[in-house]
Amino acid sequence: MSVHPEVIRLLIFLVGIIAFAALNAAYLVWLERKEAGHIQRRIGPKEVGPFGLLQPLADGIKLMTKQLIVPAGVDPVLFRIAPILVMIPAIMGFVTIPFSETLVARNLDIGLLAVFAFASVNVLGLLMGAWGSRNKYAVISAARVVSQNVAYEIPMLVTVVSLVMVSHTMNLTKIVGQQLGGFWHWNIFNFAASPLMPVAFLIFFVCMLAETNRAPFDMAEAESELIAGAFTEYPGMGFGVFFMAEYANIVIGCSMATILFLGGWDCPFGLYPGVHWFLLKMYFLIFTVIWIRWTYPRTTFYGLLNLSWKILIPISFVNLLLTSAMLKVF
Amino acid sequence: MGQQSLFDLLYVAAFFLGGLVFAVGPFIIALLLAPRSTRNTQQKTAQLIECGMVPIGDAWIRFGVVYYLYALMFLAFAVDILYLFPVALVYNRVFAIRDFIEIVIFVGILALAVVYAWNKGVFTWERKSYSHR
Repeated sequence: MSVHPEVIRLLIFLVGIIAFAALNAAYLVWLERKEAGHIQRRIGPKEVGPFGLLQPLADGIKLMTKQLIVPAGVDPVLFRIAPILVMIPAIMGFVTIPFSETLVARNLDIGLLAVFAFASVNVLGLLMGAWGSRNKYAVISAARVVSQNVAYEIPMLVTVVSLVMVSHTMNLTKIVGQQLGGFWHWNIFNFAASPLMPVAFLIFFVCMLAETNRAPFDMAEAESELIAGAFTEYPGMGFGVFFMAEYANIVIGCSMATILFLGGWDCPFGLYPGVHWFLLKMYFLIFTVIWIRWTYPRTTFYGLLNLSWKILIPISFVNLLLTSAMLKVF
Repeated sequence: MGQQSLFDLLYVAAFFLGGLVFAVGPFIIALLLAPRSTRNTQQKTAQLIECGMVPIGDAWIRFGVVYYLYALMFLAFAVDILYLFPVALVYNRVFAIRDFIEIVIFVGILALAVVYAWNKGVFTWERKSYSHR
């Protein structure tokens, strides 16, 4: 019996990407704690292994040996499927992300749309978990997470629409292919298409922070006011799966920012383009995400929604119109 | 359906299954490793968390989500932006000023939703209480 070579390729990519996601989830927690420590003039984890490198392993074992409590009175179905529903799209988003010219699981023609479609399921899972928890903090968090995510989806998608206008394609590999050949070709510096491109990148990045519920927009799990928000009732591994999904979503968001604006696997000065440049840019963005989290305090919810509706959405619409006008002029 | 799109679907389906396994796997491991019962003397292990107190009242009640208007405005936008995607994809394939004018009209009408809401005071954050009017 012979197996189709495509099936073998599929399995290799599937296992590889799940391993990538798991490794990232584990070591981004380590990075986050280490970085937070150094920003706050502490050391961070250091006891378990050299530089605390075995800390994620210890955390994982701890989470796995916690009793899986389902509190009395919760919605049994919603409570159980919520972490799974958050995790699945986080893995599915990786299906079309090109790490380099050849290192892509499947080069979908509607890759861009697919990634955002998968990413938008996240909010549904959080809502189900929060509402199903039957906890006052979680229910408040449910209302917040929905309004926050819908508010920030609009400027993000408008920015992406103006980018699609420039590149004429939703195929992520082709979008990167148009940006090859040095940093002046990258979309962030594509001033011929729109002088507001760096602003568009900023809008995308801010929206990505808000969509993944990262500080300063972590209203969904504002520890000081809502305990752990949507995750309050989740014990052990339920909490762990939510967090793995959150980190996977951050990886996807930073990958998308890299692909759309920073030229993907392109080298800024034309030397050895490849997967290492992609990872370098992606991890730099992730480092920035963590850096922002531990530098800025949480915004008010009022400020959060109004930032989107009063500033980001008008600017992104202006960017859209400017791009469409510039494309006709040049 | 060609072989290419069949493989596209196969990949997406496989990643769905992979995600499912990756999500359910930790729970299965936890079920195997974790204790099934807790030594509990007060019978309060399964109690919902309310900072250590016995919860007062139910959480599934009606409460004022002041920012529901934002969600209503989102409805005005979400579908329209999906319509913009195909437009953006074929934009500028042929040179025609009409495309630009149509986009301006479309986005202009969309932007009126923000202007209207701004004017109506949706963005000013006040206690929406009508009891002492």
